Amino acid sequence: MKSLTRAWFALILLSGASAANAVMVSRNAVPTIAGVAILLVAWMKTRVILSRYLGLWQAPSWRAGFNGVLGVYCLFLLGLYVVPVLAS
Amino acid sequence: MTETQARTEPRNALDELPGELLMWVLIVSELLVFGAGLAAFLGVRISDPSGFAEAQDHLHRTGAALNTVVLITSGFLAARAVHLRRNGQRAVARRHLIAAMLLGGIFLWIKGGEFAEKVAQGIGVETHPFFMFYYLLTGFHAAHVAAGIVILGLVAIWDEAHTIEVGAAFWHMVDLVWVLLFPVIYLLA
Repeated sequence: MKSLTRAWFALILLSGASAANAVMVSRNAVPTIAGVAILLVAWMKTRVILSRYLGLWQAPSWRAGFNGVLGVYCLFLLGLYVVPVLAS
Repeated sequence: MTETQARTEPRNALDELPGELLMWVLIVSELLVFGAGLAAFLGVRISDPSGFAEAQDHLHRTGAALNTVVLITSGFLAARAVHLRRNGQRAVARRHLIAAMLLGGIFLWIKGGEFAEKVAQGIGVETHPFFMFYYLLTGFHAAHVAAGIVILGLVAIWDEAHTIEVGAAFWHMVDLVWVLLFPVIYLLA
């Protein structure tokens, strides 16, 4: 049960990081840096939910698989996000 | 099969997955659907990044961030309900499920207010491609939240530990989708 509470606390902290990212976006931060920060936080949240809420800590190989695929997917989203920046 | 054979039999990888296999199939399929939607959103954005940024400024980032906290707290309560029921604390587990449902209701209330505000401003699905994706993806997610509330209600009634675990897994899937959807739709300007 303690690990669940820690997971919830970590998710709240990561949500705070999301809010900080939102401020960064509104202040016209460098898009690539903002994109990396935003998607990194999102990926970390998915890791916590999969591991602790959905219980994948009990299945390390599945956890690694999900984390890896979602990590690659977030990199793919980042690529799509920075295409206009690179093109300009 | 003898006891020795059973002990030496290699475990199927699928047996390692916690909970119900079918729920994992659903989780993966939902991630694929929403994942494709978000990729399409950013793909279309390539042709009009400034239009997408301008449209995004109409969204309430604070409300959506608040909804993130509401949903992850609701997920926490659902996860606790599973542990409590396994420990035989049936009534407390049920109260946790009801609290999780209430937070789901708050999520929908905030989301509904956001939609109503957009409609009042004359912003519809045809206003800009951004809003087509916005309504489609966040609306589809909200429908999952509504379904999740019903499921949590059902497992609060038929409250075997395994049943609660399956219902909570659906709720965590809704959580998982939101933590990907929120940053892409609301933050990646």
